[in-house]
Amino acid sequence: MKNYQIIEHTADLALCIQGEDLSGLFTNAALALFEISAVKIPSSKPPKKESISITQKAGTPDELFINWLNELLSLSATRELVFTEFKIDKISEKALEATAIGEDISGYKINKEIKAATYSDLKIENTGSNWQAEVILDV
Amino acid sequence: MSELWQGQLEKIDDYHWRIPKSYKPGMRVPGIIYADEKLLKDIRQDKALEQVANVAFLPGIVNASLAMPDIHWGYGFCIGGVAATDIEEGGVISPGGVGYDINCGVRLMRTDLRYEEIKDRIEELVWALFNDVPAGVGSKGDIRVGLREEKEILLKGAKWAVEKGYGTADDLECTEENGAIAGADPDAVSDRAYERGKAQSGTLGSGNHFLEIQVIEQLYDREACDALGLDLGQITVMIHSGSRGLGYQICDEYVKSMIHCLTKYNINVPDRQLACAPVNSPEGKSYLAAMKCAANYAWSNRQCLMHLVRQSFQRVLGTSWQKMGMFLIYDVAHNIAKIEKYTVGGKEKNLCVHRKGATRAFGPGHPALPERYKKIGQPVIIPGDMGRNSYLLVGTQKAQDETFGSTCHGAGRVKSRTAALRSINANVLLKELESKGIIVKASGRDTLVEEAPQAYKDVNDVVDVVHQAGISKRVCRMRPLGVIKG
Repeated sequence: MKNYQIIEHTADLALCIQGEDLSGLFTNAALALFEISAVKIPSSKPPKKESISITQKAGTPDELFINWLNELLSLSATRELVFTEFKIDKISEKALEATAIGEDISGYKINKEIKAATYSDLKIENTGSNWQAEVILDV
Repeated sequence: MSELWQGQLEKIDDYHWRIPKSYKPGMRVPGIIYADEKLLKDIRQDKALEQVANVAFLPGIVNASLAMPDIHWGYGFCIGGVAATDIEEGGVISPGGVGYDINCGVRLMRTDLRYEEIKDRIEELVWALFNDVPAGVGSKGDIRVGLREEKEILLKGAKWAVEKGYGTADDLECTEENGAIAGADPDAVSDRAYERGKAQSGTLGSGNHFLEIQVIEQLYDREACDALGLDLGQITVMIHSGSRGLGYQICDEYVKSMIHCLTKYNINVPDRQLACAPVNSPEGKSYLAAMKCAANYAWSNRQCLMHLVRQSFQRVLGTSWQKMGMFLIYDVAHNIAKIEKYTVGGKEKNLCVHRKGATRAFGPGHPALPERYKKIGQPVIIPGDMGRNSYLLVGTQKAQDETFGSTCHGAGRVKSRTAALRSINANVLLKELESKGIIVKASGRDTLVEEAPQAYKDVNDVVDVVHQAGISKRVCRMRPLGVIKG
């Protein structure tokens, strides 16, 4: 089962994402972004990969979540990478240190441009059994 | 997330509705919606009206939080929203009130070509445009610039493109702000934003951006058509694009910084995407200066795109664009914040007018208009969906009196992208369009389906409301012949 669901939204794209813990939530949200926007083109060649270290600080978990997703979208655009793996080395409610591993964008068909993750109707909560987020993406 | 909106809505007349200030504690002004009963049924289907009420919380907001008939659910502001804030009274500027695609906008080019003359060449022209104009997600163009030149684009806007040979001085005169808004500060733009902008000049992008070959099928205002050199059966070309990744980056960075301004300036808004700062604060000034850079980038981008279109037509039809009469009618922004003067309560005020999915619509005689449009008013370009119509309107004095010189910007979505993908088959859609004489080439099949006519309100209904309400006037209606989607 996917760790995210698409929720109806008239103009943009709304997602509900789950994770076992905060680290899982951030990882699954990042995976969702790139799974929705890009499809790998079948190839026999092993993809060229690149690792990027990401450090983010914020005032709240909500800000940290939005900053993380928008930093990935921005890096994806400038480095021309589709991110496929994420290692969250350290995370608290106000800071994270992570590594994002991406493959060259030429190996993908890009279906959708996600401009940004927004604060509108953003919800991040610890349900007791897991962490869940709802976010609207500008597409 | 989507459910029928149950808030308070009062009918003022057939085209005006009010959300009273009492609807939510914290609203500083009422919400006023331009719509008729038919459009309102769709408008109530999501949270757009709640967003109209939320915008009414912005400090310094004047008169009302306004919504045009193409209003739909956005983030922070609704799409189709207009809000003006009084700068001297602590009025704010909100990056979310402009959006990520800063100066997304549209330009309309006339031609002397007649439908009867070129109807058998449309497919060839569509293929040429599809090959010549970079389109699709993250598309990059042949126009690559270094940092120094990119800074020039941010300052000079479309003038940079004209100096490069991608157009004429006449094009600049027919562009809002002459294609370059004053006050852009390239130092307010981050290195990352420059990086995202360096290869995207002259690229269409994706989503709802498009190029369209159209034919004029209905005239409404003969005098205005004569002044604009337009007649039935004449071919026009419409271009819809914006500031691409540079604009997204600027918006993202300033939303991030303005989230902290909510505490710093003690601002209470019900949605953090409405993050804002007083226009006169250091943060507000910095955002405005950066936003203007993105606006200028977008005007340059559309100028470069028009140059590519002219080149394609020249190559296919073997005649110079000048001989084909491919002159710009006008270029308008529909995601922007502008500082404009209005009389409020008998006093002239400097207002910060946010148009988020709304078009400037100045009436006859307005000093911002070029001499050629002083008599008829500002051309207003309203793209519809790829299967129905688009319109050319003109602005009115009534728009200046009621809506801070603003009107609608398009058809407005009614069906979500996911619902469109579930219910529409791309091949069937292409066949349907073909049967109507419309040839479509799209970079992505998903985009094609998401942008299907069924996903949009009927632009004819939207334009009927703004015309009947008097905030712009119909001039002519076009129908699409060939469409290039990003």
